[in-house]
Amino acid sequence: MSIPHRHLIICHECDQVLKEIPLPNGGVACCSCCGATLYRHTQDSINRTLAFAVAAAVMYVIANCFPIIGIDFQGNYNEVTLPGAISSVWNQGRPVISTLVLFCIIVAPAVEIMLMICLLLPVRMGQKALGVYPIMRTLQVIKTWGMVEVFMLGILVALVKLTTDFIVIYEVAIWAFAALTLLLASMTASFNPREVWQQLDQIAEDGEAP
Amino acid sequence: MKGKSRLSAKSLGYCSCHVCGLVSRPDNDDDTIDLCPRCHTTLHMRKTGSIERCWALLLASAILYVPANTLIMMETGTLISYRKDTILSGVVHLWVSGSWFVAAIVFVASIVVPLFKIIALALLLMSVQRRSRHWIPQRTRLYRLVEAVGRWSMLDIFVVTLLAALVQIRSLAIVKAGPAAIAFGAVVVLTMLAAMAFDPRLIWDPIRKEKP
Amino acid sequence: MTDRHKETEEIPEAVIEKRRFRSSQLIWLVPMIALLISLLLVVKHFIDKGPEITISFKTGEGIEAGKTKIKYKDVQIGLVKSIAISEDRSRVNVTAAIFKHASKLIAEDTRFWVVRARITGNSVSGLGTLMDGSYIGIDVGKSTKPCFSFEGLERPPAVAMDVPGREFILHAATIGSLDVGSQIFFRHLQVGEVLSSELDKDGKGLTLKIFVRAPYDQYVKTSTLFWHASGVDFTLDANGFKFNTESLLTILLGGISFVTPDDASDAALAPPNTEFTLFPSQEDAMKRRDTVFEHYTLVFRESVRGLAVGAPVDLRGVTVGEVTRINLELDPGGRDIAMPVEIRFYPERLHARSRSKDKTQLPSSSTDSRKLLNAMVAKGFRAQIRSGSLLTGQQYIALDFFPKAAPARIDWSKKPPVLPTVAGSLEQFQASLMQIVQKLEKLPLEELAGDARKTLQSLDAALKNAEKLLNNIDSSIVPEARKVLGETAKTLESAKQTLSADAPLQTDLRNTLRELGRAAQSLRTLSEYLERNPEALIHGKQEDK
Repeated sequence: MSIPHRHLIICHECDQVLKEIPLPNGGVACCSCCGATLYRHTQDSINRTLAFAVAAAVMYVIANCFPIIGIDFQGNYNEVTLPGAISSVWNQGRPVISTLVLFCIIVAPAVEIMLMICLLLPVRMGQKALGVYPIMRTLQVIKTWGMVEVFMLGILVALVKLTTDFIVIYEVAIWAFAALTLLLASMTASFNPREVWQQLDQIAEDGEAP
Repeated sequence: MKGKSRLSAKSLGYCSCHVCGLVSRPDNDDDTIDLCPRCHTTLHMRKTGSIERCWALLLASAILYVPANTLIMMETGTLISYRKDTILSGVVHLWVSGSWFVAAIVFVASIVVPLFKIIALALLLMSVQRRSRHWIPQRTRLYRLVEAVGRWSMLDIFVVTLLAALVQIRSLAIVKAGPAAIAFGAVVVLTMLAAMAFDPRLIWDPIRKEKP
Repeated sequence: MTDRHKETEEIPEAVIEKRRFRSSQLIWLVPMIALLISLLLVVKHFIDKGPEITISFKTGEGIEAGKTKIKYKDVQIGLVKSIAISEDRSRVNVTAAIFKHASKLIAEDTRFWVVRARITGNSVSGLGTLMDGSYIGIDVGKSTKPCFSFEGLERPPAVAMDVPGREFILHAATIGSLDVGSQIFFRHLQVGEVLSSELDKDGKGLTLKIFVRAPYDQYVKTSTLFWHASGVDFTLDANGFKFNTESLLTILLGGISFVTPDDASDAALAPPNTEFTLFPSQEDAMKRRDTVFEHYTLVFRESVRGLAVGAPVDLRGVTVGEVTRINLELDPGGRDIAMPVEIRFYPERLHARSRSKDKTQLPSSSTDSRKLLNAMVAKGFRAQIRSGSLLTGQQYIALDFFPKAAPARIDWSKKPPVLPTVAGSLEQFQASLMQIVQKLEKLPLEELAGDARKTLQSLDAALKNAEKLLNNIDSSIVPEARKVLGETAKTLESAKQTLSADAPLQTDLRNTLRELGRAAQSLRTLSEYLERNPEALIHGKQEDK
């Protein structure tokens, strides 16, 4: 087993070893060598992140259950939900694309939100969460693949393309997606893994103490 | 500070866990796998096989970039016309039809970004392999940019998915995703994986003082 | 100092504001709002959600889950959600979501059918479905009772329920070329459609449901007659050729015509679902009106060739009956053969006409009508076979007054009573034709020509004498008188030329007389031949029936 050095920080971009400094509220520590962000001090991080995660979860359900946009073409009305779009593309013989979209827009955000709640809820309650390490590891990977914001832009581009030929009807889920994009961005912004680890260490120490 | 050579964590024998960020000093025993004392993640000084993996993925994406841009991305059928658009012709169509802003977005996201990523990563890899000592901070910034913009290339895939699902008014208007969409999706995913495989610390290694 | 110390002791400490606590509570407003919005959306969704109905069809052809729409008057009111095979595997159950605003359209008597492109003889419909797929059409009834399970129609209903009009029931022996959707005509105007056709349970007939649109339904009275207007009504009878059809469409598809007889125009309006009989043809429909009829026997001794069962009995051009039987009877003596022809006589037709003409009531009781008939026969009322058409050789029975006929009486003792007859008109015609021919033959044409020549010759001689005389006068009379006489001589000369035996006028007259003789001969041949084979002109030699 390696020996921990809790007050040292290594820049993940340039491998510079640095000493940790206390930060003021909202301050950001960066690497003295390459300027990469090392850690931040976010106020009330766990609480806020959890709140955003719960809100995102709710919005996520709405965004997936309701139609995003509808088109009206000479009396023919057609609307599409996200799962509907994915299954439709699958049925059109494009399973690769449909799987890709399924993973990036449905699976990845769902996993991210769920894991965030699973991780932070026990931490906030001051309990030791189960499977924290795999959760943290997965969160780090899944973060890259959740592309709700890109999808939101995709919806807007699709709207522009559609308005030339069709009457476009904005359905509920388009607003839900907009909200989800904002909430996920807020969640990511307020999430501070360093604080979580400190909390976890604290809990672990408290558990050992008595 | 600038130009001043410093000791890298590797040379000092420190290693930062990539999951929890905890700095520890792993045993220098090569037979055992070092684990993070906090989260039990396997510790690496550098990403293993970074350059080889990055090259392989980059090459694959560069090859796929060709069919992604030459094959049909989207088929649009209406009563009177049947269009087959490649990515570029789709952008041109958007531009001609007056949606300049959107055309620019799609052009950047679908054509510029993947190309930029492939070229940038290739440059980074070559410079690392040649142990270049020039423009190190700039190259780090370039890498950050590559990582940040990679996901936006998925834009066209999402647009095609939405249109293909939505515009299904039999024989009046039909949109189908073409074979280029698969190639394009693969390009985006592969370049993202390549960017992840690349270890930016390698950029700095040539100017690090090795601990004797 | 102590005072100051005391003072400081008394001064309370500032309290740290529990900002952290506050803000941590505030942030939870975000998920709260999100939850609230979602709840509102979900509630709204369920409020907006219309009923979900199940329709069962025989096949699921053209129906796609999530794509097939439900339309009322071409406006979408719902969407098919799922398609499943029924448990007994005989039908397809289609589950559809109806929009909230259209939920009132879904009631017990709402009808559903799949609109596909249909090309039938009289219409091409649903061409639009070729482009954007089939849809489920609905027709809304009058019921308000909600219902969520329906049986779909296999074909679109001919008439939507909101079309004003009335339904009637027709009983027919055969369906002919009728089909559901066949049209109903009133004075060649298309006024309705056949809704359904069903074989009667006993298999002996058919029951048709028809629909007559308003305002034409007011012409359907209790006494209205319906008949098959299917195809071409081509008849060849004593009335000649008849070519009847409603419209070109009915030739191909069949249809039903109806008419209300004029004398029944004051009949009551037929209530919906009144039952009528569907007659095979217009003739049948009109005939059947005569419910009162009398049978008579007419005994003919002449050929009844060309007379057929069903041939009309005609009273001065109006059909008052028909031939029902033609017999061959050997006289008891064995010396003669008689042809008793039974006819059915409709006294009502006479009745109606007499009433409309002289407003006098004909006696209704049979004894009175017997008296009347007796009186008529006494005045020469007879039956006669007449040729309806020289061309076809068809014959009919004519009733008429023959004042010169030999006196006769109705034999009431026989059943049916025997009405006296006179020889047929063709026979009379042939007889008189023969007479003419004989007379023509008797004419001494040759002698007549000879006489004329003699007369002319003597006239010529007389003129020659006159010339001599004039020559004498010429020598003795003054030159003026001579001049005049010379002119007269010239005139007479030309007269002589004219009247000479080989003059053109003479020759023409001779030729004419010869031609007349020849014509008379061929006429005789024709009449003889016609007597034997009256129909031979068209058919050639025909075999006996």
